[in-house]
Amino acid sequence: MSDSNNTISREKFMAELERFRKGSVTRRHFLGVTGLGVATAVLGTAMPGLRPRAASAAESIGDRVVLATWPNYHDPENFKAFKALTGAAVDMNVFGSNEEMLAKLQAGGSGWDVFVPTNYTISTYVKENLIVPLDMKQIANYDVASFETRFAGPGTVDGKIYAVSKNWGTTGFAVNTAKLGKLASPTTWKEFWDMTQAEFSGRTMVHDYQLTTIGNALKYFGYSFNSIDAKELADAEKLLMKAKPHLFAITSDYQPGMRSGDAWLTICWTGDGKQLNRDLPDIHFVLGKEGGEIWSDFYAIPKSAPNPKAAYALINFLLDPKVNAKECLFHGQPVADKRVDALLPPEILKDPILHPAAELLNALEFGAAVTLTDPHRAELMARFKSA
Amino acid sequence: MQPDTDPPIAEFRATTKMFGEVGAARDLNLSIRKGEFLSFLGPSGCGKTTALRMLAGFEAPTSGDVLIDGERVNDLPAHRRPVNMVFQHYALFPHLDVTDNISYGLRQRRPRPAAAEVAQAVEQALETVRLPGYGRRRIWEMSGGQQQRVALARAIINQPKILLLDEPMAALDRKLRRDMQIELQSLQRSLGITFILVTHDQEEALSMSDRICIMRAGRIVQIGSPRELYDRPNSRYVADFVGKSNFFAGTVSRVEATGTALAVAGGLRIIGTAAPGLAPGQTASASLRPEQISLAHGTTTADGTTCVPVRVVNRIFLGEHTEYLVQHDDLGAFLVLVPRQAEASEGSFEPGEPAFAIWRDGTALILPEDA
Amino acid sequence: MQARHRTALFLLPAGAWFVTMLVLPLVVVLVFSFGERGEAGGYSPAFVLDNYFNLPARWTAFQNTLTLAPVGTLACLLIAYPLAYFLAVRASEKWRTLLLVLVIVPFWTSILIRSYAWIFILGGQGIPALISAMGLGDIKLINTPFAVLTGIVYGYLPLMVFPIYVSLERLDKRLLEASADLGSPPWRSFLQVTLPLSMPGVATGCMLVFILLMGEFLIPAILGGGKVFFVGNALVDLFLQSRNWAFGSAVAVALVVIMLVTVTAYMRLTSRWAGGRDDLSLM
Repeated sequence: MSDSNNTISREKFMAELERFRKGSVTRRHFLGVTGLGVATAVLGTAMPGLRPRAASAAESIGDRVVLATWPNYHDPENFKAFKALTGAAVDMNVFGSNEEMLAKLQAGGSGWDVFVPTNYTISTYVKENLIVPLDMKQIANYDVASFETRFAGPGTVDGKIYAVSKNWGTTGFAVNTAKLGKLASPTTWKEFWDMTQAEFSGRTMVHDYQLTTIGNALKYFGYSFNSIDAKELADAEKLLMKAKPHLFAITSDYQPGMRSGDAWLTICWTGDGKQLNRDLPDIHFVLGKEGGEIWSDFYAIPKSAPNPKAAYALINFLLDPKVNAKECLFHGQPVADKRVDALLPPEILKDPILHPAAELLNALEFGAAVTLTDPHRAELMARFKSA
Repeated sequence: MQPDTDPPIAEFRATTKMFGEVGAARDLNLSIRKGEFLSFLGPSGCGKTTALRMLAGFEAPTSGDVLIDGERVNDLPAHRRPVNMVFQHYALFPHLDVTDNISYGLRQRRPRPAAAEVAQAVEQALETVRLPGYGRRRIWEMSGGQQQRVALARAIINQPKILLLDEPMAALDRKLRRDMQIELQSLQRSLGITFILVTHDQEEALSMSDRICIMRAGRIVQIGSPRELYDRPNSRYVADFVGKSNFFAGTVSRVEATGTALAVAGGLRIIGTAAPGLAPGQTASASLRPEQISLAHGTTTADGTTCVPVRVVNRIFLGEHTEYLVQHDDLGAFLVLVPRQAEASEGSFEPGEPAFAIWRDGTALILPEDA
Repeated sequence: MQARHRTALFLLPAGAWFVTMLVLPLVVVLVFSFGERGEAGGYSPAFVLDNYFNLPARWTAFQNTLTLAPVGTLACLLIAYPLAYFLAVRASEKWRTLLLVLVIVPFWTSILIRSYAWIFILGGQGIPALISAMGLGDIKLINTPFAVLTGIVYGYLPLMVFPIYVSLERLDKRLLEASADLGSPPWRSFLQVTLPLSMPGVATGCMLVFILLMGEFLIPAILGGGKVFFVGNALVDLFLQSRNWAFGSAVAVALVVIMLVTVTAYMRLTSRWAGGRDDLSLM
């Protein structure tokens, strides 16, 4: 920050913004003194916050907004732009499971303004009175009509919108094909678990997350991903316990292991699969033929949010199709917003990782709310980990 | 104490110890006789402790030799030397009780002495230092004087050839120090062990030692019995260090067998015994001990005395003696020690009063100026 | 009387802190431990002993902790003692400060980041690759108890080095001269003087490291790959994942009880070694 011509203090910025909103300076003067010209050149002219009539959304929102989200799920450049625009820095807390997010909110004092729950958890949050219905007037960039109902639907509970769609995706597995040798590349969860206990022993990772790890163990037997049936869970537990000595790790942060070559096979979410494949083409993302999980993530605001104004500003900013398209290009998770798809290069839309073939998609199941709260699944996972 | 002809128990032979550029001890030559009580005396930094530590084995000489009982020990580590030390702050082991401190040395012997034997030796050592029944006390429960005795017992139980004492009484109060000095002296006589004491306290050295080795800036200045050092110091430094003395600077005017004359200020001449090697024309100092001078109300012309007019400046009553500070117009201020009986006959002298200072010619020592 | 009132006044903040920060949470945990898991997880009030009967379900976690905490403490001690000895006794003034700083430097970054560095060192492209390149065979280090132990030693070393360093530094060097003077060779002086007199430092270091290790969860999670499960991990899991706060509280109570018992036994033992002394720095 040595070049004082290009930087101004936050106070000065806010003062200039205030003058700009009151119309006492021209837009060009404002962009000039604040150095936002560069930012707008990057982001294009579709920045609603900079239009004088929409500028009320950008009134002082404080200097900090706390976001609880998943690993590798945001483009840091967008946060920089958000800070330049509003003066609020995004303080990111990264989580590995929905259970953990729920636990933090249940315990109270999380300090989050925005968080990113997955479809199957929203009804529980509503029931537990932990999130608030959204004031859609403050999220002008959310256009219900342009979102695919299949993915955006779970955000609406009892006719009220509690959460707006962020991304959707699938849970498959990533395999390092360079390590296969004479083995055929696996295409099913059965092969996934069998390889783990044989040729890939010591090289497989599963999520530190009951939904996907138990769910995909259930798929080995052809049971539902969401089963809470005692006998079916007992079968899954037997498989997990048998496989545990062969696992490289139980972790939701599996990219480092795959990238270093220590691990060759892992349960994997779409975006991570895309990122791994983009950097290491030997790593392929596979959806098990038996099925598995399809999911969608949302933005929601906890009832306890210390700074809801900033929360709305951040959600609205991230749902701007231009910003959202940048997000998508960064993390590789598909978006349910037609306006965003229109901005993306065609090869992304044809990408088999982001947009798998219909017959693979049809076999997938959305996570069921009951899996989040079912004590048997929770305790099974705990037994598996502590064994 | 052995006669001079017996082989010495320890020797320094041209021993030098350098710490970097600093010569802590330079060219020491000294024979220590078996059974004697020898003190190294000098101000701090004079090299006396370095000499002691070279005997103990904590410092190796840079050049020259150190011998113990005829054996060159330059390279012999401390734990194999037949000497023991009483440390300045005792260096008692805080984690051991009195008995375990005292028996420490015996327990280091290989083969190990029998437990009963050790226990008996400890009992005896405790008797010797007059601490019977203190064996199970903790070190920090003991007073300074008691700790000193434990340190002593811990050293003598090993029956060392030489007992080294590094300012052992520095931490004791005056009264206790006096008692301890007497005790040490009688202990040394009864044990017959050679004691080597390091001290900066001349009174302590004078009262306890058979011989004193006076050191200055790493070198030995003079070695001799307390009486020799007191009566025949070889330099102004020694005269000053051993006892109190008045010094009058001047020029040697005449050297004869009967006495040497030193011309001092005001045309006065002080007649005294000269150190060898002084020639006329040399600058020197006349040393006159305060007790060698007397005070009178009237002048005297008696033969073989010098009498000068002075004015009494100050008076300090010391019991047996009274110490007067007097002022002479040319010689300046000097001290006079008047015994009680003399004062009884001559009467006392009030500050401000005029008086006459008198000394016998020839009692002064004419000493060369220190290099 | 007035003085006593004033003392009470001064102690008030400390007392309030003690009650709210130490006693209150313990009481909450104790109460929770007799409760039940809420419908959507969390806590629901009850008075049952089920959680305590269910403790054997976390036997492996207790087993891992109760093995790796003492082993880790011992490993820390074995590495820290010579290091502290070198720093306090052998190193020159000039080097001592520099080396002491080097010992602390890792503390300036979070243990999370430092442990991640070890993932790469112990991972397939790190030391195992080196060993395999030297033709010494294939070994797996990451996500093993060995990796966790390495992380523990690395992370907790300064906590062990400093108390030992301080006790050795305070040690009166004349005591060693006295020992030599009394006929003890250097190695025996070390055993008879240096070692016993540095025991307060050793005891403090071991206590610090052991207590913290009993609650450790980050290092096993990162370097154990979720496969070396400590009680700390079981607690994180029960509070954050399975959200069975009641059972989690019971596990926490069990851990506190085990710690109290071991620490009390340890203190009895060390005070016996010290022979009831409370001050070893005696001149």
